Amino acid sequence: MQHSLEMRNIVKRFPGVLANDHANLTIHAGEIHALLGENGAGKSTLMQILYGFYVMDSGEILIDGERVHLGSPKDAIALGIGMVHQEFMLVRRFSVVENTVLGLREGGGPLLDLKRASEKLKDLSHRHGLDLDPSVEVGSLPVGVQQRVEIVKLLYRDARLLILDEPTAVLTPQEKDRLFAILRKLRENGRSVVIVTHKLKEVMELADRVTVMRDGKVVATRTIGSASEQELTQLMVGREVNLHAEKSSRPPGAPVLKVEELRVGDKTGREKVRGVSFEIRAGEILGIAGVDGNGQSELAEALLHLREIKGGRVLLNGADVTALSAAKHRRMGMCYIPADRRHLGSVTEMSVADNAILGQQRKYARGWFRDTCAARNFADGLVARFGVRRASIDSPAGKLSGGNLQKLILGREIMSGPAALIVEQPTRGLDVGAVEAVWKELLQAREQGKAILLISAELEELLNLADRIAVMFEGRIVGTFDAAGASMEEIGSMMAGGASGEIGGTALTTAMQIPEARNGETV
Amino acid sequence: MAKLFERRLTPLDSPLAISTTTSAAFLTAMLVTSFLFLRYGASPLQAYAALFHEPFGTLRGFGYSLVRASPLALVALGTIVSWRSGFAYLGFEGCFVIGAAATAWLALLGAPGAQPGPMPSFLFFPLAILFGFVAAGIWAALVGIVRARFGGNEVLISLMSNYVAIFILQYLVSGPMRAPGSLPETRLLPRATWLPFILPGTRAHAGILIAIAAAILAWMLLRKVTLGYELIVTGFNPFAARYAGIDVPRRLELAAFFAGGLGGLAGMVEVLGSQHRVMDGISGGMGFVGIVVALLARLNPVAVIPTALLYGGMSVGADAMQRHADIPSSITFILESLAVLLVLAFDALRYYRLNPAFWRSAPPAAAEELK
Repeated sequence: MQHSLEMRNIVKRFPGVLANDHANLTIHAGEIHALLGENGAGKSTLMQILYGFYVMDSGEILIDGERVHLGSPKDAIALGIGMVHQEFMLVRRFSVVENTVLGLREGGGPLLDLKRASEKLKDLSHRHGLDLDPSVEVGSLPVGVQQRVEIVKLLYRDARLLILDEPTAVLTPQEKDRLFAILRKLRENGRSVVIVTHKLKEVMELADRVTVMRDGKVVATRTIGSASEQELTQLMVGREVNLHAEKSSRPPGAPVLKVEELRVGDKTGREKVRGVSFEIRAGEILGIAGVDGNGQSELAEALLHLREIKGGRVLLNGADVTALSAAKHRRMGMCYIPADRRHLGSVTEMSVADNAILGQQRKYARGWFRDTCAARNFADGLVARFGVRRASIDSPAGKLSGGNLQKLILGREIMSGPAALIVEQPTRGLDVGAVEAVWKELLQAREQGKAILLISAELEELLNLADRIAVMFEGRIVGTFDAAGASMEEIGSMMAGGASGEIGGTALTTAMQIPEARNGETV
Repeated sequence: MAKLFERRLTPLDSPLAISTTTSAAFLTAMLVTSFLFLRYGASPLQAYAALFHEPFGTLRGFGYSLVRASPLALVALGTIVSWRSGFAYLGFEGCFVIGAAATAWLALLGAPGAQPGPMPSFLFFPLAILFGFVAAGIWAALVGIVRARFGGNEVLISLMSNYVAIFILQYLVSGPMRAPGSLPETRLLPRATWLPFILPGTRAHAGILIAIAAAILAWMLLRKVTLGYELIVTGFNPFAARYAGIDVPRRLELAAFFAGGLGGLAGMVEVLGSQHRVMDGISGGMGFVGIVVALLARLNPVAVIPTALLYGGMSVGADAMQRHADIPSSITFILESLAVLLVLAFDALRYYRLNPAFWRSAPPAAAEELK
């Protein structure tokens, strides 16, 4: 099979977001290709386009140099492209073989020939080392085996290219090793595999080539042998424009926020924060570095008690606030600027003025009634002071751009006069101007003596703003640096899960850039 | 390949766009229904004239329209309060009968035929409102508790709770509250407990005033009161609400209580204003039609009163049309249902627009075959 697949200049716009910005991607036959990037970088959108889930706004997809049309997953399957979603699409009460033939019409007759299908399935399973029993009920299988059922479904439909979206997110380390062995075997048999992931380690371990995406753009494609983990980390989280922020050197004050051995689980009960301790003083910014999904979000939410705390304590100005409600946290002077601006930090359907008092609605009230006048004055002041542009305070907050919405949320939280401020990914997806504004405000809050926890995947941001930087990996703090003396390389390798200095200075000489595929053809 | 409908980058949500699509939908519904009139040899124009003349052109008919509109408006207000708080309550039939039974019980406390009722009327009516509201409010709040504390599905549970409430009412009117006689119904309520009639020569009663007052209060709750702000935040985005320090479960329970209470007032108004006794089947589907009214009013408390009047009036007109022109009154059900379906469907026009390129380019199927 000499299949190769090319995606050229793919553009996909969602209302208010440019999800894919002229993205190019080439996948060779018989390779494992990793698509690396942070949450929201546009990897999933690009793959959903390839699988026919979304229709691209412009761009083209070529298989062996021939332009193809992908209007639905059906088209994709017909062209030999299959996808394993993060959430499995299996009928739990059906057997493996029933799940496999679900939706297929073989032989043309009205009857289902499960026996023949079982034979074919056994053969496929044997050839690719999947080790599946066709007659077992899927619901009784462990997650790792269910994933193999998803893979055999694709092989049964003769998929030449298998896309796996975050395949290891739900697997144990043993199951992961097993999956990787299977994927290598698929490669041997001439199939191509794309894994969508933000885990560097897996990319280094498994992939032949890697394409890095950031902010909807493809920033680089490298062969694994020629790329170092630090380089990939920087490509993934780095920013093209060099920004610099001046911060005053002043000694921090008394301890404000203290966290002791905090443990937090996620919905499925797995521990995402495994015993984190730190202390932040007044007028100090503690940065938390780490690739997305290493427990930072869970940590932030747990500090406000928006998430169940399994163990440990949170102390604010010496008072134990661990078990208090989010409302009490706010009253005691702890504020949170979440990463998810549109779904957690604001109510996009409501007006800017209504969003400006979110969390302090009880303050802008006279008795039972809202003090609309005071709220509007406050909103006007906030919009002016924090430079929220192009907004009438009566228009819905959802119409604001990401940067302006962030300024609104940041302003609202800072104006509430907190003692401690939890800030999560404050500049993700913002343009340079907005980044500068947000940085300035955060540094000013530091000047005012607030204790700030700054969670960010942007190393440059942390190095510019933070006084100390702690690196989080798999739910633990694996190292703490003084920001003044820290190097990007050192932190980057720790973020990737390596001990400090373990993978220092791999040469970047044979870096290979994907050829720009612009042949004048417009769509 | 050009598509017939193209997604708008930003949906149109100005009041003008909303009222245009709503009236266009209503006119389309009337146009489609016209064809049904033709079947009976009636001119659609005359039929519509007949349909709207009785309820809005005659005093007696207008009185009836007000009688029908009052409970519909109250149920619609309950729908608005609960749905805007993110609580998809559908149990208004149940609240209606609970409210009706509770107020009837209060009204019948006195001895049979006792003239002034159990208490002076300046005390009775506020107490009846409170009684009907709280009884049905607690009934609905039970569903709210199940949803808020245990994650139950409020749509299913509230729908099923209707049957429970209706069975309770059947038990009451055929058991403890049954009047001597053959029919399962209560005694006639004492005259002093009837809501006063407000338009001489008609059946219109003070229930419509209660509905208008409730509409104003619901509007104030959602727009002017801090609690209402918290309810609406909860409805739009429970995660953001929790983030803002709002006690989401408590708010859901409160929303359920208010919604149920308004549904109970509908039952109270029907019993004290129109039926003057309670019998099986008293709700007559008003707990569902009220939801439709709320949808048609786009969950806006102020728009509820005219919409309820339109719906109440149409049902009065339908009866008249059947009497005079022998056109089945069920045609108006078709008209009413079509109106709701089309109003909801026409919403799509605010999110999509017709794509002129569709007609300019060659038909896609033909182009495909040419290749």
